Amino acid sequence: MFHFGWGICFFGGVENAGAGYARFLQSFWQSLSFCTVFFYNFARICCFWHLCYIIIVNVWENVLFRAFSPVLCIGKGTMSEKEKILIADDSAMNRAILTEMLGDGYEILEAENGCQAVSIMQTNVDIDLLLDIMMPEMDGFDVLAMMNKYHWIDDIPVIMISAENASSYVERAYDLGATDYISRPFDMAVVRRRVINTLMLYAKQKRLVRLVAEQVYEKEKSSSTMINILSHIVEFRNGESGLHVLHIQTATDILLRTLVRKNDKYNLNAADISLISTASALHDIGKINIPASILNKPGKLTKEEFDTMKTHTTTGAEILDKLPFQQESPLVKTAYAICRWHHERWDGRGYPDGLKGEDIPIAAQVVAMADVYDALTSERCYKKAFGHDKAMEMILNGECGQFNPLLLECLTDAGARLHAELSLASSGGSRRNYLAEAQHISEVLLHEKSLPGQDHILRTLSVLRTKANFFAENARCVQFDYNEATGLVRFSPWAVEHMQVPEELHLPDEADQSSFAIADIDRIRTALRATTVDRPHAELSMLLPIDGELRWHHVSLCALWSDEIPPLYIGAVGQANPV
Amino acid sequence: MTLQEFYARVGGDYNATLSRLPSEALVKKFILKYPGDPSFAQLKDALAAQDWELAFRASHTLKGVAQNLGMDRLYKAAAALCDAVRGPKPLEDESLWPPVLAAHEEVLAAIREL
Repeated sequence: MFHFGWGICFFGGVENAGAGYARFLQSFWQSLSFCTVFFYNFARICCFWHLCYIIIVNVWENVLFRAFSPVLCIGKGTMSEKEKILIADDSAMNRAILTEMLGDGYEILEAENGCQAVSIMQTNVDIDLLLDIMMPEMDGFDVLAMMNKYHWIDDIPVIMISAENASSYVERAYDLGATDYISRPFDMAVVRRRVINTLMLYAKQKRLVRLVAEQVYEKEKSSSTMINILSHIVEFRNGESGLHVLHIQTATDILLRTLVRKNDKYNLNAADISLISTASALHDIGKINIPASILNKPGKLTKEEFDTMKTHTTTGAEILDKLPFQQESPLVKTAYAICRWHHERWDGRGYPDGLKGEDIPIAAQVVAMADVYDALTSERCYKKAFGHDKAMEMILNGECGQFNPLLLECLTDAGARLHAELSLASSGGSRRNYLAEAQHISEVLLHEKSLPGQDHILRTLSVLRTKANFFAENARCVQFDYNEATGLVRFSPWAVEHMQVPEELHLPDEADQSSFAIADIDRIRTALRATTVDRPHAELSMLLPIDGELRWHHVSLCALWSDEIPPLYIGAVGQANPV
Repeated sequence: MTLQEFYARVGGDYNATLSRLPSEALVKKFILKYPGDPSFAQLKDALAAQDWELAFRASHTLKGVAQNLGMDRLYKAAAALCDAVRGPKPLEDESLWPPVLAAHEEVLAAIREL
């Protein structure tokens, strides 16, 4: 670019001397400034993306990983095996003596006063504390109080090392959650033994807690998956992608969390939030009774049609009410409230019962708002999708009915996050992908005992599908994908174009419809049969017709096996490259 | 001067200290660190400035250090002073300070000869 500019300048300069010199200078500065601006912006963009990358990696490492690792049941503990011990004492001498006494088996961190101790504990949760009482700025009792406030006291054992032995001090320390008291003067054997014993006790507790958490998580996952599948079945009919259910759950969860942070008058804890989010998946089950002609009508509904549509609230409530079991379960009760009243509005002008204000259960209020937001920002058969800002504007202006002012505040606060998380859930792929996934999950349910984890798997599946499609579309060779269960062979677009094969071929009955010789198909089949789980690859050479002429190709095959015991042959993929 | 003599001079129990910090090298190492310990200087300044809160904390720390190192005379003197300003309240009995000073000087002198 720069040279191009120079070239122009020189050319201009050589042609006309005098006046050309002025023009030469002008062009020179223009190209120079253009280049500078171009590279400057390029550097800025690179820096920006680099910064984003750094931020994302840091957020993952420090926040998300730590938050999710108890749930994912993986930890970083195996990296450095030494236990960390924090010694908080204002006397350097004491810290030195204790460090020496504990020996090399531990990683020692030091704090001179309570504030330092607290800040160290904020970044290191996997730690044990030896705490003095007499310290400047923040004494031992204040540290204990802080640990109680943040609930670190549950995970961090505290051994008091103060010289104060008056029973009032000891009692107070124990009341605040101290695990043990080492009196002075320090005896090395005693110090070591006490620390080891306390650490072992806490390690056992942590392991038990983790085991229980794992079990609870698995149970929650299963029931959540079931509910989602059932609601997908309903959504099928009205042509909405399964995304709607996912969006409502995500949006309800975000709004509820924002709500409890703002105001605790609704008295919701984490379990309640989880329950309401799960129950929200059932909000439109009443639509099963609405004729498809109304559900999928591309235009505005007539009055009669709208009245019919309105009955989905009462129908859903009736379905839940007539359940012959589990009437009293909190999930059913919450789902009933959500189903029946998720179209009520704050001013009483909603349907079906015209409830007003706080008469509407908070669960229904939140789902109502989530439903409206998602309806506005998604494509429907009767409207296009609106942007996030337009949707927010419409809701806040009351164009979709009146909502609880507190909830409107929550919506404003959580707006950016709603937009980010809901669009993340949408970016998976086309509508067809989600129907296919719902089908896949139902099949798996029927044939296997274990239920796959829901959101994560759905999203991963759609990402993988997008990747696979991209590579298949861009491949410049013959690729095929065979599914043993259905007997279908799918060919890559390039193969379809250059090899005279249909996009999908059903074996064995349609085998003669392609230009693949029957003998070749049999050779492939034999090669695949010869593979095992440990050695799934096979290689063949064969003549294939490309653009009308036969050419030798090297065919690589990979058999696909399932995860069961014993593994089942489920299909194969293959690629043919010309030699 | 051996460690045993050191302890005899400063009025401490050599055997007891050795049972708590099993290695002689360790005991010596920490005793040699004592001159660098700021708690005595802090206590002196606090009393001069009549900052009773600081005096209490400094005397408490000094008491702890002395106790850990087995220097009993210093420990007892510092403990007495510490209790006198506990509250914190102003030091009424001025006679509590000289024993602390004396014991401290004694220890420093003994360390120089170690």
